[in-house]
Amino acid sequence: MKDLCQRAIGVAKRRGASYADARILDMRNQSVFTEDRRVSGINDSDSIGIGVRVIAGGAWGFASGPDLTKAGVERTAAGAVEVAKASGLARARRGVSWADEPPARGVFRTPFTVDPFAIPVRDKVGLLLSIGNEVLRVRGVKKCHGWMWFMRERRWFANTEGAEFESDVVTSVAQYSATAVDGATAKTRSLEAHPANAGWEHINATPLLAEARRVGEEAAAKLKGKPVRAGRRDLILMPLHLALTMHESIGHATELDRVLGMEESLAGSSFATTDKLGKLRYGSKLMNIVCDNTMPHGLATKGWDDDGVAGQRWPVIRDGILVDYQTSREVCGAIGAKRSHGSCRADSWGSIPIIRQSNIGLEPGLKPLSLDELIADTKDGILIDGMGSFSIDQKRLNFQFGGDCFREIRNGKVGPLLKDLTYQAITTEFWGAMDAVCDRRFWRPFGVANCGKGDPGQTARMTHGSAPARFRKIRVSPA
Amino acid sequence: MDAVGVALRAARVGDVTVSAGQDSSLTTRMADNIITQNVRQDGRWLSVTCAFGKKHGSVSTSDLSRDAIRGAVRRAEEIARVTRPDPEHMPPLGRAEMRKYVPSTSDVSATLAATAGQVARDLARAAREVGKMKLRLSGAMSAGGSVWAIGNSAGLRACHRSTNAEVHMTALGGDGSGWAQETSHDIADVNAGRAAAEAARIAVLARHPKDLAPGNYTVIMKPAAAAELLMFALWPFDAKAADEGHSYLRGKLGKKVFGSNFTVRSDHTDPRSPDSPFGGDGLARRPMHWVRNGVVENLVYSRFWAKKKRKAPTGWPPNHIVEGDGTSVDAMIASTEHGLLITRFWYVRYIDSMLPTATGMTRDGLFLIRNGRIAGPVRQMRFNVNTTGVLNSIEMTGTPERAWMVVPALKVRDFSFTSGTRF
Repeated sequence: MKDLCQRAIGVAKRRGASYADARILDMRNQSVFTEDRRVSGINDSDSIGIGVRVIAGGAWGFASGPDLTKAGVERTAAGAVEVAKASGLARARRGVSWADEPPARGVFRTPFTVDPFAIPVRDKVGLLLSIGNEVLRVRGVKKCHGWMWFMRERRWFANTEGAEFESDVVTSVAQYSATAVDGATAKTRSLEAHPANAGWEHINATPLLAEARRVGEEAAAKLKGKPVRAGRRDLILMPLHLALTMHESIGHATELDRVLGMEESLAGSSFATTDKLGKLRYGSKLMNIVCDNTMPHGLATKGWDDDGVAGQRWPVIRDGILVDYQTSREVCGAIGAKRSHGSCRADSWGSIPIIRQSNIGLEPGLKPLSLDELIADTKDGILIDGMGSFSIDQKRLNFQFGGDCFREIRNGKVGPLLKDLTYQAITTEFWGAMDAVCDRRFWRPFGVANCGKGDPGQTARMTHGSAPARFRKIRVSPA
Repeated sequence: MDAVGVALRAARVGDVTVSAGQDSSLTTRMADNIITQNVRQDGRWLSVTCAFGKKHGSVSTSDLSRDAIRGAVRRAEEIARVTRPDPEHMPPLGRAEMRKYVPSTSDVSATLAATAGQVARDLARAAREVGKMKLRLSGAMSAGGSVWAIGNSAGLRACHRSTNAEVHMTALGGDGSGWAQETSHDIADVNAGRAAAEAARIAVLARHPKDLAPGNYTVIMKPAAAAELLMFALWPFDAKAADEGHSYLRGKLGKKVFGSNFTVRSDHTDPRSPDSPFGGDGLARRPMHWVRNGVVENLVYSRFWAKKKRKAPTGWPPNHIVEGDGTSVDAMIASTEHGLLITRFWYVRYIDSMLPTATGMTRDGLFLIRNGRIAGPVRQMRFNVNTTGVLNSIEMTGTPERAWMVVPALKVRDFSFTSGTRF
């Protein structure tokens, strides 16, 4: 594979590319689906091919294909140069800017104990069907969907600057949902061994079957939940819920390509423009947001990004102030950075690398604070767990989120389940209202495996971590 | 495709269904009047499902060598052997199904022949024109095609070719933005300059937007906006989900759910949105009315659920065509005393699919209408609506156009906006 990568960049160089990189990806996936007490599908897939990216005549070109014969690879590389020459018809006056990076060399492997592909299919099916049986024993629960997904992605990368590395990433996830139905409506509750770069041990460590009865019971209880009144309430957001709120209101807003308008026509831009760098009060002083592509088991942890930049850890919001962005080698110079933070990834061999969210999360509070203490300190609030409805404007300001499970907090005590609700806020006002974050003991990571961006669309994976946090006087409405 | 035959010959026993495809596309992106990304993608795949009785397993691969295909078949057989029976598994359809296929034309050679240079020239020209207006142009133009074939151990064989071309343009100037999109299987129908000019026209009108109080407004949704929202009413048409009680359409088959002026159908031969004559399992597609004059006329029946309920299987709709009466957007505006004109929506999501309620934002041009005229731009707003409520409140419909679906502009009363944003 290394030889094929070198062959590709050699061809690109001979045809006039000033820079070229080649990635070969060998991607294996396995999915197991269950519906109630039946196996609705088992799909194994493999996909292998090459993506070649070049700068020629000061403009970008990219081509990809599955043909890994020598002739096929040469054809793909030549195609990338041809495309770059077409891009030259409307290129930047000074051509593509490109930050220096020492050539990366080495091998990265996801640490895991048990290869998920070595676990027999019958065991995976057995676990999901057992969960289905348990969930469907709960009175009122009529539906259970289960899913497992495993991925192994081997990557070989080389560029004309001398970089040459390999990575071998393993990802595992299992999840299920219980749906309770009555005469008027249906409600769903979910549980997951969240997506993580880990092996089967990650699935084993999650009490999926042990919690199945509770999940089913909570789905049924949601049908009879107490209605919430519209108004302003204090919210305590659990890490699994906060993962999505951070993803939408911080993660995307601090992608520098969006900030610079490069995603304007589709995914949108960002209110956190570069003139606000170092000045914008994004949130309260408790707000410290850190990107970390070295995070163990993080979905964006893969050694190097697809620019060939090593994984890094850096703050983007410090004490509530915007201090940095997620960058690539192409755009980091726009904020005066000499080096990219390494946030440029593609979702397959067929896709061009673009800026994708890193593993990005909220740092835990520095003062000792448990979840119980935070609840005890809350007079009139709502505890929200899990992910639900989510929507945000294209500059990442006005958002509205739901959740998977809502509980009333009255005078420091957690009450019964509430009916579904949504909360709505402006990003900076919301984060400005954060007045407490639990400490490190309560910090949990959650993987997001389906982040859409790009044109043609790509699906990226990253992990968001946080401890439970409280937000004062946020506007809530019945769903 | 020969790959399908290789896989079928490799299968030893049991039911086998194979599909294989190949695609090629160009996508050129632009931001601030320069090309920022330019991509040529070629792909191929083969998927094989093997079944022993009710036990089935599937394997797909991008390697179409004979050895790899045979390996995929062996793996699918192994999975099918070790899994548990699926009571909903159906045997493959036989040759007789092929006689029901009604051909459609959804490929145009010029679309497949488009070059990166041709696309880049179109975009560069559009950017120059928009640049003369002191506006910045972003967007993308793409062209490509695919071929896919299916075959099974019951003798069914079918193949279909399709092409697609699309351009979407966002023009920016000051605090105004505008957007336009064109899409067709024929690249001759797609004009980057025309889309850019329309986006620029909207962007100029959208400058200096004012705040507007949230509340209920009469709205005129352009086709792109209508399509974005209507999907949330049309996705849950699965008969099984309705029969099991976890769809908003439970017990609604044959009943009036929407306003009398709402009709939606599908037809894979419609030249505005042509598609293959068969679905993924080889089931023949046929024109279907899903909603006629507000009455839910059909739900989506899989082969299994149709057999169980003694209905004809429908397969999933290849497209959605919403009928319109041809009223122009200008006439809708002229008839509106106080309302809003919406260019498009963004990030629409269910709040509760059982109701079905949805939320989302307006984007790239929201205009206040007063006394039958555009009074000026307003800042973007968030809506929270019940989609069946919306489809019971349609006052006027335009000429259907291809957006996400084939859909007309809609004038709708009492559309609920709940908050605003800062641009």
